[in-house]
Amino acid sequence: MAAGLASKWSLGMRFYSLIVGRSLLGGLNNNLSSLLGTSNGITCSHSLSLQQRTFIQMRTVLKVVDNSGAKKVMCIQALKGKKGARLGDTIIASVKEAHPNGKVKKGKVVYGVVVRAAMQRGRCDGSEVKFDDNAVVLVDKQGQPIGTRVFGPVPHELRKKKHVKILTLAGHIA
Amino acid sequence: MASKLLPQALIITPRNPHQCPQKNMGFSTRVSGLPSSFKSGAPTSVSRVPSFSIGLNLNPMFSAPPKRAFFVRAESNPEAEGETNAVAEVTENVEEKEEVDVEESTQVEAEVQSEEAKPPRKPRIKLGDIMGILNTRAVEASEKERPVPDLRTGDIVEIKLEVPENRRRLSVYKGIIISRQNAGIHTTIRIRRIIAGVGVEIVFPIYSPNIKEIKVLKHRKVRRARLYYLRDKLPRLSTFK
Repeated sequence: MAAGLASKWSLGMRFYSLIVGRSLLGGLNNNLSSLLGTSNGITCSHSLSLQQRTFIQMRTVLKVVDNSGAKKVMCIQALKGKKGARLGDTIIASVKEAHPNGKVKKGKVVYGVVVRAAMQRGRCDGSEVKFDDNAVVLVDKQGQPIGTRVFGPVPHELRKKKHVKILTLAGHIA
Repeated sequence: MASKLLPQALIITPRNPHQCPQKNMGFSTRVSGLPSSFKSGAPTSVSRVPSFSIGLNLNPMFSAPPKRAFFVRAESNPEAEGETNAVAEVTENVEEKEEVDVEESTQVEAEVQSEEAKPPRKPRIKLGDIMGILNTRAVEASEKERPVPDLRTGDIVEIKLEVPENRRRLSVYKGIIISRQNAGIHTTIRIRRIIAGVGVEIVFPIYSPNIKEIKVLKHRKVRRARLYYLRDKLPRLSTFK
């Protein structure tokens, strides 16, 4: 019985310390945010503002970089990977925005190959590559691009994934 | 007599330079304690006699090495006292007795000298230092193949890279170094550039054998170690022709 009481008491203590800690942290945060203006103590705020880029998953809006007619698509399924698609993977997407007269219309469900991703992709020699935006090239079910031109840089990784046609259409290989 | 005595001198004198003088005296007194005309420290050319074999023959005389050491120390003290007496009586008789004794003290001396040689040995490599040592070795090996220039944040560099997928030509990457992470052999630099309207950042391990050349073109004055603010700024600042 004494042991039980002691455990309950320790639990209570733990909750109390959690609450106290959170309020302390809240106070600290307030101080830091006020200090930001004075350009001091960048260390802690820097880690808060550094974005951790992640996978391309459901509801991710991507830019279309070929001349198939679509402008923006929303990912509805990443075909490979439990957490989401990465650079070089194929996705199923729905066209959200399109040019008035193009090969694809708004609302169409299409396949796409991710050619630029904000999440870094490691290469076999230890280097990593990351782009500033998420971009996709629309393809058909066989993997052949629908459009005839690709804008912007594309990475080497497409060669391994057998998207050679996109590589040949690309203007610049990163 | 000289031919038998001097081989012992041959063994002893090369080791003697870093011997403490007391031991030397102890030995010489030990030898000269016996009536003989042996003068240590007179190395002349002598026919090489395998004196180690002589020493080995005496192994049964000494039961255990520590005992031998103690034997030596015990020997040297009374012998130091007997020095004054011993020097006085220098005769040329009892050669075989003196030879046996010289041999046993040679054996003893050898033991003492091997013990004396132990203290100046290499310092132990601690467990925590191993990674550092391995890293410096790997960096040195890489530097020998291709020297890496001094790279700092804010340098505008051009990197020539050999890509296994693009075997035909070397890929060229140009851009500004926005950060440098030091991690021994995996020291990396992050290069940023605007390519065809899109910002690209690539992390290169500078000691990688795939990198064929790193050339510093220019330097931009920056007041930071990591230039992540360039991501939010105008693309013009990250463009390099």
